[in-house]
Amino acid sequence: MKDATPEQPLSRLPKFPRQLDPAISTAFACIIVLLILGSLYSASFLSPEYLLQQLKVASFLGVIATGMMMVILLGQIDLSIPWSVAVGGMMACAAAAYGPVGETLAIPFGVACGMVIGFANGIGVAYLRIPSMIITLATNAVAQGLMVVYTGGFSPQDSATVTMRYLATGFLVPGVPNAVLIWAIVGAIAIFVLTRTTFGRSLYGIGNQERAAYLSGINTRRIVLIAFVSCGALSAFGGTLLAGYASKAAQSMGDSYLLPSIAAVVLGGTSILGGRGSYLGTIAGVILITLLQSILSVMQMPEAGRQITYGLVIIVMLLLYGRGPANR
Amino acid sequence: MITSAIPAAAPLFQMDGVSKRFGGVRALENAALAVEPGRIHAILGENGAGKSTLIKIMAGVVAPDEGRMLMDGREVTFRSPAEASAAGVTCVFQELSLIPDLSVADNICIVHPPRRFGLIDRQAQRVIAEEALVRAGAEDIHPRMLVKDLPLSRRQLVEIAKALAWKPRILILDEATSALTAADVAKVFSVLMRLRSEGLALLYISHRMHEIAELSDECTVFRNGHNVMSFAAGTHSNGEIVEMMIGREYSNAFPPKPERATDTATPALECRKLGWTDRLRDISFTLGKGEVLGLGGLDGQGQRELLLALFGVLRGTTGSVLVDGKSITLASPAEASSEQIGIALIPEDRKTEGLMLPMTVRENLSFSVLDQVSRGGVINREDEEQLIDEMIKLLTIKTAGLDLPVAALSGGNQQKVVIAKWLMRKPKIILLNDPTRGIDVGTKHEIYLLLRRLADRGTAILFYSTDYDELIGCCDRVLVFYDGSVARELKGSGMTERALIASALNVEDGHVGTAA
Repeated sequence: MKDATPEQPLSRLPKFPRQLDPAISTAFACIIVLLILGSLYSASFLSPEYLLQQLKVASFLGVIATGMMMVILLGQIDLSIPWSVAVGGMMACAAAAYGPVGETLAIPFGVACGMVIGFANGIGVAYLRIPSMIITLATNAVAQGLMVVYTGGFSPQDSATVTMRYLATGFLVPGVPNAVLIWAIVGAIAIFVLTRTTFGRSLYGIGNQERAAYLSGINTRRIVLIAFVSCGALSAFGGTLLAGYASKAAQSMGDSYLLPSIAAVVLGGTSILGGRGSYLGTIAGVILITLLQSILSVMQMPEAGRQITYGLVIIVMLLLYGRGPANR
Repeated sequence: MITSAIPAAAPLFQMDGVSKRFGGVRALENAALAVEPGRIHAILGENGAGKSTLIKIMAGVVAPDEGRMLMDGREVTFRSPAEASAAGVTCVFQELSLIPDLSVADNICIVHPPRRFGLIDRQAQRVIAEEALVRAGAEDIHPRMLVKDLPLSRRQLVEIAKALAWKPRILILDEATSALTAADVAKVFSVLMRLRSEGLALLYISHRMHEIAELSDECTVFRNGHNVMSFAAGTHSNGEIVEMMIGREYSNAFPPKPERATDTATPALECRKLGWTDRLRDISFTLGKGEVLGLGGLDGQGQRELLLALFGVLRGTTGSVLVDGKSITLASPAEASSEQIGIALIPEDRKTEGLMLPMTVRENLSFSVLDQVSRGGVINREDEEQLIDEMIKLLTIKTAGLDLPVAALSGGNQQKVVIAKWLMRKPKIILLNDPTRGIDVGTKHEIYLLLRRLADRGTAILFYSTDYDELIGCCDRVLVFYDGSVARELKGSGMTERALIASALNVEDGHVGTAA
């Protein structure tokens, strides 16, 4: 291999502008294309109300995709998203039925239940060395079973607390939905964690080369466990927000978040093999997916057509970026 | 200089002027070889002499850069192992290539299973397997047995049978006996001798001198990618052969070694009867502060395992390890590199074990000191920057920027990053696993200087290298490994290349001395 810059002394490159990942710029370009296409279809597509509404819908996916991104950065996957979301929503609503104490603890309790699922996933992947695809599917099934036992197979009657509804639908800052605010906070924390903490560095390191990370003295198993617990917590938190949005939890509320959350992360340029990706890309991916969904429903495309479109978009993006030379 | 007795008629197989480079490294240079039917031809040479490259070219695994190969006087090129095998050249590789959960017959016929109506014809497959097993002298193995149920020596025979199923004219055996016990070796030998009498040409690569003496008709010695000499077996003594394998000039300048007593009061590291499965047996040694202790011997005699064991990577080690006179447990790299113990391992393969290639120089360098440059899990960029700056100056790493991916650096600079990454922890004991392989002479020299400078400051260094020059030039003492244990300790003027090779091959040093 030839040295790219053989005799050049060490110089400091400015941190910005670092070259923007082509996947991220593509994702943003796609967002613009979708907006233009949508405005051709209906003029109200570019109205502030509509865009803000889309951003609000995107926030729920954004929170859930944040957890998914951490797991994907490790080179793993979490397929227990559907029932982590549902457990979060249902358990929060269930707690709400137990008087004022229950109401205060509704969200923490829902999130804690999601963390338990994430903990089981993490123990399975990190310590028992079960492939994440298997263990997370299994915990998903177990969570589903437990919820069916709990509800007796019907949609639960408990409804969301005032706080949950306020977080999902209220306006703390006039004009900015609280859900968007929450996503902004979660995103800011995620960016900080990914770029400035040892945990974030370790996530990228393990995703790139687990052996090297382990030999560097990183406690790789603990990092993997924490990532899965965070993913479970964020999914469940997303679930409590969704329950607040709909005023109550439903059995299938998480089903429509598995594929979109993976798609959003991958469309944003995070390598499905782990180790590469930035949160900016995930933001772009989440907005892209949400707009895509919206346009497909505005165009009155049936559910089946929507599913086919997601799947195809993911495949195309994977072909474009997932196996690029930068990965080798 | 080729003084071989090549007969006038075209040999079965011949190669001429074959060269192969990997990056900047000359693996094979203008090599020539002639193979006759009904003969066992031994290939000798030390680590990196070009033996494996030669075999890989013959077996179609890699393509030569230059030169030509002839079979029966006609030029041939092999683009894949399957093509080479179809032409009659088949290789039994060092690593067993059998799939444990398939049956013997499935394994033997794995590349071209006989088909009927598009499905595998199991009947025909069994017949082929039976025939091949009989030829390999393993008629007692049932073709329907699973490979995982066979003992190691039987598997080796299946491996040979698998090669014979191609009906080769030239059979190459690369270290085919390295995993076998003496009794099993005898079994394999009788098979090989019978194959020779059937008119097969056998190319036999082994590090075991007595095997070569017992088995071969002809020998060719390789050194530095050249074939030095071909001769009939028995015409040269072991001592002379070792001379041929060495005979090269010293190309690297090494820093001077300090004169001092080798035994210090409390050694930095002491191993007592360290063992791990059957790969490490009763390893005992002490490593003083400021000492550079070399690990020598042929590749794969347990040196790597020793380093990994000391770094806490291996599970189930026996015996005890003392650091600064205190017994430690070998639990994980995180513990081994903690401040109390202070061990660092410069790993063997920088691409998979040392670096995260797509990540930046900065991120790679600070990866092993994340705990030291952070507070409550948050990285302090100034502390990080300062430590990195020091290291980049100390090791003169040439990079256009800390935020470039480390993959953009040259091989030598990448290796410096690996070393720098570990020096940032200021370790008391450094374990090096063949750190100069595949890097340029200039960087090698810098690494030698660095090691000596660290040792002068009191760091204890355990240095495994496959390059004998390096061991002699850099180390105060060398432990020569053979078959998972320390065969001999060499020091001072006793550290000669001849003594190193002789003990690595486990032949008597006196033997070499009298012959020379």
